[in-house]
Amino acid sequence: MDAEVLSRQLTETFGDDASCVARSVKRLYVALKPDGLYPVFDWLQENVPGLRFGTSTAMDLREGVGVWHHLPVNKTPLVITLKVVAPKPDPRIPSLAVKVPAAAWIEREMTDLVGVVFDGHPEPHRLVKAEAFPDTFPLRRDFDVAKFKEEIGESPEF
Amino acid sequence: MKAPSSRRVVQIGPFHPLLEEPVGFALAVEGETVVDVDARMDYIHKGIEILAQQRTYDMLPILLERICGICSVTHSVCFCNAAEDLLGIDIPPRANYIRTIIGELERVHSHLLWVGLAGHFIGYNTVFMWAWKYREPVCDVFEMLTGHRQNSALPMVGGVRRDIPEKYFPEAQKTLDMVEGKVKMLTDAVLDDPVLKARLKGVGVLTPQEVMDWGVVGPTARASGVDTDVRRDEPYAAYGELDWDVCLTENGDVFDKAVVRLLELQESIKILRQCFDNMPKGDLNLGMLHMPRGEGIGRYEAPRGEDIHYLRSNGTNMPERLKVRAPSYTNVASFKASCLGEKISDVTITLAACDPCYSCTERTAVVRGTDDQPERTFGDLVRLSQAETRRVADEMGRPHDLQLT
Repeated sequence: MDAEVLSRQLTETFGDDASCVARSVKRLYVALKPDGLYPVFDWLQENVPGLRFGTSTAMDLREGVGVWHHLPVNKTPLVITLKVVAPKPDPRIPSLAVKVPAAAWIEREMTDLVGVVFDGHPEPHRLVKAEAFPDTFPLRRDFDVAKFKEEIGESPEF
Repeated sequence: MKAPSSRRVVQIGPFHPLLEEPVGFALAVEGETVVDVDARMDYIHKGIEILAQQRTYDMLPILLERICGICSVTHSVCFCNAAEDLLGIDIPPRANYIRTIIGELERVHSHLLWVGLAGHFIGYNTVFMWAWKYREPVCDVFEMLTGHRQNSALPMVGGVRRDIPEKYFPEAQKTLDMVEGKVKMLTDAVLDDPVLKARLKGVGVLTPQEVMDWGVVGPTARASGVDTDVRRDEPYAAYGELDWDVCLTENGDVFDKAVVRLLELQESIKILRQCFDNMPKGDLNLGMLHMPRGEGIGRYEAPRGEDIHYLRSNGTNMPERLKVRAPSYTNVASFKASCLGEKISDVTITLAACDPCYSCTERTAVVRGTDDQPERTFGDLVRLSQAETRRVADEMGRPHDLQLT
C-alpha cells in the first residue's frame, strides 16, 4: 500500500477531519484534531496489515505542543505520521497506550520532557525525570537553564 | 512496593555484575516465579536530543555516533537517511556501498558480542571467550578500513566523508573467511548442544501478537516469525542491489533469538563479500547541502532492530527537533510480556535475549494480580527444586540422578 492510495482512502472516510499530505510514496503525514485520534488509529489498525507503533515525537510549537505518532508498516517502506497539536497552556491529548502498549513508555517520556498530558494513560508516572526533579519541562522553549541551576544547584542531591 | 505475604522483591542493579550498563530491575517473585517486573532506567541520560539542536548538520553525525558504544554507525547513518528523506536526494553509489560495508561490519561484531554475553549469562563461559576472540579481528578490519574500531566518523548528509582504502580488501576478505568458519562452528555447537536446548528452549517466549502489540523490532521480532527488516522493507544504502535473505524462526524463545542472530551473521558476511567484490567507483558525497524547511523520517536496521530518527528543519543550519528512537526502547519494554511467569533464573537470559542497549533507552512498571499462596519453608523449596529436576530429566529421557524424598 503506498502513501497516495492510503491518503485518498483516509480523505474519503474522514473528510476534513484528517488532512493528509503524502510527501512521497513512503511517507504519509496526517494532521488530526485531538478527538480524531482514536477513530483514525482504529481505522488504520483494521485496514493496514502490518501496522505497528514506532515512536512519537513531541515538540514545543508556536500554536501548542505537537505530538507526532510515527507508525511504520511491516514489509512496506511506508511510515504513517499522525500529527496532533494540543493548545497551551494545558496541553491534553488522548492516550494511545490504551490501544497499543508499545506507546506507554514514549507517552510517559513526552509528559516528562514537554509536559503534555495523556488522558487515560494506564501508568502516568515519571519515566525519564527523577522523582525530585522540579515540575518543569526541559524540552519546552521557555525552560530557563540558568534559573533551573540556581534553584537546584549544579550537582543536586536527589 | 509492599509485597503480599508470599511475594518477595529481588533487585538486580542498577549496578550489578550481570549488567554491562546501569539499569535497575525489581523482580517481584512468588516462590521462584516472576509475577512482576519493574525496570528503572535513565541513569545515563545524556541529553542528546537537546544537544542535537545546538549542532550544525555537518557536526551532527559525529555527535550521534556517540549515542551508543556498539552501534555507532547506526545512529549517524539513520540521521543521514532522515536528512536525505527531507531533501529528497539519492547519494552516490560508492557512498552507498561504503555505508553498507561499515554497517554490516558493525552487525557482525555486535552479534558476536551478544553471543558471547549470552553464553556468559547462562554460565557457558567457553562461548563467551571464543565469541569475543573472533570479534576482535572484525574490529581490527573496521579499524583498518576506517581508522577507528568503533567511531568511523564516515557518514555525512549526502554521502560519506572519506574513502575506504581498497588495498585492504584482500586482508578483510581473509578475516571474513576465518570468521565465517568460526561462526559456522558456533552455530553448529549451539544447534547440537542438548544442554543449551534444555536451558533455552521455551524460555522467554514472545508470541507474534505480543511482538506487534509491543512494537518489538529486529532479531527479537524475527525470532517470533514476524517478517520485518528495514534493509528489505525500505532499502537504504546498497541493500536493494545485493543478494541476501531475511532470517526467520518460529518459536520466539531465547534459543530461537540466538539462532536468528547466528544465521544473520552468515548473511552479513555474504553481504560484505558482495560489497568488496562489486565496489563501484565514483564520487563520495554531494558536497555541503542547504537544508530547506521541512521534516524527514529516517529508518535503519541496527543490529538490534529498527532505528527511527525524526528530523524537523526550520531552514537554518541546525535542526529544530531531532527525535531518536533506538531499537532497545521498544524491545526492553516488551519484558513485561516475556518475563512474567518465568523462573527467576531464566529472567537473566530473557532480559539479555533482546540484546538490550541501555545507553539508547530509558524506566517500566507492571503489577499483575496477587494471590494467597502460603509462605514456603526451605524444605518446600528443596522439594520443589527436586520435582523440577525430575520433570526436566523425564522430558529429556534421562535417568533420575536424585533420590527424591
